[in-house]
Amino acid sequence: MNSPIRRLTLALLIGFCLLLVNVTYIQALATDRYRDDPRNARVQLARSERERGLILDRNDVVLANSEAQAGAGTFVRTYPFGGLLGHPVGFSSLLFGDRGLEQAYANDLRSKQDLTISNVIAGVLGNDLHPENIRLTIDVALQQAASEALAGQIGAVVAMDPSTGAILAYVSSPGFDPSVLVGATAGPAGDALDADPDEPLRDRVANELYPPGSIFKIITAAAALEFGEMTADSTFANPASLALPGSESTISNADGRPCGSGIEVTLARGFISSCNTTFAQAAMEIGAGALKSQAENFGFGVEIPFTFPVIPSSFSPVDLSDDLPALAQSAIGQRDVRVTPLHMALMAAGIANRGQIMVPYLVADIVDGDGKVISSTEPTVWRRAVNEATAAILLELMVQTVDSGTGTNARIDGIRVAGKTGTAENPGQPPHAWFVGFAPADQPTIAIAVIVEFGGVQGDEASGGRTAAPIAKETLERWLKP
Amino acid sequence: MSRTAEGALILAAAMLGSFGVALVNIASRQAIGDDVALTFFVMITAFGALHAAVRRWAPNGSPYLIPLAALLTAVGLSEIYRLNPAMASLQKWWLLIGAGLGILALWGLSSGGTQLLRRYRYIMLLSALGLLVLPLLPQRWPLPIRGLAVNGSRLWVSIDLGVIQMRFQPGEIVKLLIVGFLASFLAERHEALAMRTRKFGPFELPEPRQMIPILVAWFASFGVMIYQRDLGASLLLFSTFIAMMYVATARNTYLVVGGGLFTLGSVAAWSAFTHVQTRLEAWLVPFEHYETTGYQISNGIFAMASGSLSGTGLGLGRPSLIAFAPTDFIFAAVGEELGLVGSVLILAIYALMVSVGMGIALRSRDLFRKLLAAGLTFSFGLQSLLIIGGIVRLFPLTGITLPFMSYGGSSLVSNLVLVALLVQISHEERV
Repeated sequence: MNSPIRRLTLALLIGFCLLLVNVTYIQALATDRYRDDPRNARVQLARSERERGLILDRNDVVLANSEAQAGAGTFVRTYPFGGLLGHPVGFSSLLFGDRGLEQAYANDLRSKQDLTISNVIAGVLGNDLHPENIRLTIDVALQQAASEALAGQIGAVVAMDPSTGAILAYVSSPGFDPSVLVGATAGPAGDALDADPDEPLRDRVANELYPPGSIFKIITAAAALEFGEMTADSTFANPASLALPGSESTISNADGRPCGSGIEVTLARGFISSCNTTFAQAAMEIGAGALKSQAENFGFGVEIPFTFPVIPSSFSPVDLSDDLPALAQSAIGQRDVRVTPLHMALMAAGIANRGQIMVPYLVADIVDGDGKVISSTEPTVWRRAVNEATAAILLELMVQTVDSGTGTNARIDGIRVAGKTGTAENPGQPPHAWFVGFAPADQPTIAIAVIVEFGGVQGDEASGGRTAAPIAKETLERWLKP
Repeated sequence: MSRTAEGALILAAAMLGSFGVALVNIASRQAIGDDVALTFFVMITAFGALHAAVRRWAPNGSPYLIPLAALLTAVGLSEIYRLNPAMASLQKWWLLIGAGLGILALWGLSSGGTQLLRRYRYIMLLSALGLLVLPLLPQRWPLPIRGLAVNGSRLWVSIDLGVIQMRFQPGEIVKLLIVGFLASFLAERHEALAMRTRKFGPFELPEPRQMIPILVAWFASFGVMIYQRDLGASLLLFSTFIAMMYVATARNTYLVVGGGLFTLGSVAAWSAFTHVQTRLEAWLVPFEHYETTGYQISNGIFAMASGSLSGTGLGLGRPSLIAFAPTDFIFAAVGEELGLVGSVLILAIYALMVSVGMGIALRSRDLFRKLLAAGLTFSFGLQSLLIIGGIVRLFPLTGITLPFMSYGGSSLVSNLVLVALLVQISHEERV
């Protein structure tokens, strides 16, 4: 009679072992899947029952708020500026998680009043459990001006303080309104944004690569000055069309004519009038190695240290030493040269800052509930792009470009603006219109990069000078003449 | 292990229970209140008195069961207090009543031994059947004792004497009575039942006449299920019955026939009743039917997963999001707040209690006591297994209580009596 008892005992104990297996699966192996399931009301309550830190602009204008719901004991995340700051503020959403600064600074913004035992004890002892607020470097008025200047065209505007790296405006267009993604019923709104062919959720400032076109001539000119022992007055032949050695292809200028009336043309003239023929010759003279090194000095192929991951810009995937036609095309920012708008703003800022590029940053301070600063970002140097003498020459060339060259649409009365236009060709499609620059030229307080994808509303008629320079002008003016 | 160690462990369990209540108070930022002292007082009174009664009337009884039961009660009481302090107050009264009845059992059997029960087998059977149909009494009629449907299951009986109103689930007590009856019945008839008279291929079947009781039990169990919509209790009753037949006869035939009848009944129930189909669906794909049938199970899983390895801490999770947390889903609530560590601990305690109970059965020389101990332990173990298995999706969910932990008077009282009986049996074997 004992062996049936033993078997029954064994059966029950095997049952308990199976329970152990299931419990371990639920509480140790598949935990994340179940715990983070949006239908798990704990996820929702954890977000809504706790206050989240504020996101402020540089003048303490509230960009992301945590509004207490009367009587409910819950908080709702609101974004008073809606679509203006979807980039870079991002969102804190029940269904879609955190993005942008909401994600990058989630640990600071999260309430300390969570349910770990140490914080419960801290709360009992009367410690301040309010979340921290973050103060951005963004100026919401400048952001507004840049966004209005872009007027709904697809593209990006990024402005920064060249001497510190502080980002002042960060516009990726089209943007999106983070408010619609917050709640538990945001599913359809999120799906619609995901399906939008204009990709409003894509951060065009840091996560889109474009051919730079002629704004790359800043780097080619720098290479000529630093590596090629040339000066602004070095001269080149001035044909209407330049035959590229070892190939059938030619390079010509935007208007199909020579660069001015002379038989010869200086590097300065070529820069100011953005002559492709001049820069193709300069590049072939200094060689692929020099141009590549100069590009690397500006941070090509290097990850930019930033709040968000930035796609590195690239000069060329292959060695161009034996491919002069490709080198000539790369020198004018075509071929395989690809850049992010953020990087181009840094390029301009480097010239403005006497050759030194600062590490860009978005968050100036982390402050507590009473406005007391807990920590601040110290500006740091990222890299030296060119030496001071080269920077001074390039600055002067860029000033003349705006004063009398391709960038006259960026002129501001009474202020010396430095800039360079770019019109990046897209085979079979309208060109991208670029402008990079800074102002005031003598004591720069703002550097800027503007891109309008595929010419914007002007389409095939678009160019850097016609399309992008006015946007830069409006933005710079808002900053310099408030 | 000595009786003194048993007493010390009971003291430790009582302290653990009051410590749990204190943690809940701290977590909800209240002052550490009277409930801490009261919990300690009730725990130490109930289990201390039980311990004293064992010292007096069953000094050679197993010293393991009462401390383990006290430990489960301490964890359960803390979690019930955390979910609903009013329920915990009621549960404390039930704990005292249950301990009182356990002591009463020890005293009553102290002179005549468990053999006394053997004589009253048909009284036990009749009261079991009577109790089984009690919930089927009309909900509205002049008599003060009425049936009551709670959450769609007719498992409850309410007694309304004007001054005293109470409700209880007779099923829990029926379990004890049926095991008592069967132990007595089988102790006498086991030889006849084990006799092999016919060969049926590889099977040796007993006389068809001997199969009558098993068929009666089958009809009774599934009858209960059909009328009371109580899958768990009927499965528990039927399985206990088969297990005891198996122990008494050592014939695998009973397992095969029992398994076959169970399968048949289940398939019939599945095809006939939508609520059985619902249960099955909720078991297999709870997350696909989250809004409807899978809600309860999904939320139990969410709770346990949120507890993860070490749990949120007592009073710091959100177990009130679980439906029926203090009763059916107490294990999920504990899992959320005490984590995998707590879940494993609870499972280990149940496995230990099953091992101790079966050990008592193995060592019993007397057939009746052997069957009684095996039956009581099996029903206790299977009940724990079924309800926890329902929560962690090992089995379909059944609405039965988790012994010593779930909120519910009838369950706590009958399990305390069950433990007292096991201690008494082990005592008698060592005299």
